[in-house]
Amino acid sequence: MTLQKDPEQNESKHLHESAAFSNKRVLEVGCGEGRMTWKYAKATHHTVGIDLDIASLRVAKVDRPYALEHKAHFACTASEYLPFPRETFDIAILAWSL
Amino acid sequence: MVHALEEIRRVLVPGGILLDIRPLADRWPVEVGSTGSFEQTGRVTDLPVQVDGDVAANQAMMEATARGWFEREQEALFPFLYSWDTPSEMEEFIAEDWADFVKLDEPAKMATRAAWASAEAEARVQVRVQVLITRCKVKETR
Repeated sequence: MTLQKDPEQNESKHLHESAAFSNKRVLEVGCGEGRMTWKYAKATHHTVGIDLDIASLRVAKVDRPYALEHKAHFACTASEYLPFPRETFDIAILAWSL
Repeated sequence: MVHALEEIRRVLVPGGILLDIRPLADRWPVEVGSTGSFEQTGRVTDLPVQVDGDVAANQAMMEATARGWFEREQEALFPFLYSWDTPSEMEEFIAEDWADFVKLDEPAKMATRAAWASAEAEARVQVRVQVLITRCKVKETR
């Protein structure tokens, strides 16, 4: 299979036009295998990606670039019951998940 | 969905940003061509789950803004391309990964195969998915 997703990188462009990620604490809901996460996480203070699909999260953890090892974290949890205290994040992303 | 938005608002700081990025049901065009020059050969058909999902997501966002949790600041549409080497790879992907959301009718398949067969050697097949990105801000006062 030779599938290419977003070869023009429009998603990345619009993502960065919509928010400044530098040193921000980011929650990504529906991160899946981390396809979107890798496009912005490097600039953040830290990023937490959540998803209910354990298999996808395993792929995300395996694919996580070394540079993001201490910045990008993943958890299997539902968006209806987020296991975080209030006011934990500066930015939340609904990644094709609403 | 509304409960999820309430939870997201809870964990965001006042003034925090919510980015809602999602594909919209819009009978995405199927195209054949190579760099810079693509010809539309048909459109996918949106299935009820896809259309109903859009309606539910829009309603949830409207309710979240109506309750004063978020202020909608800006929104934009952009194309997100799914691109394959051959029509058969595209058909296989749509049948396996998008089976719940869209389908590709036989006339669109035939037109795509025919256009690809007569196109240049490096021609690819793509589906132009319409994506909506909405930026909302958490109100400063809770």
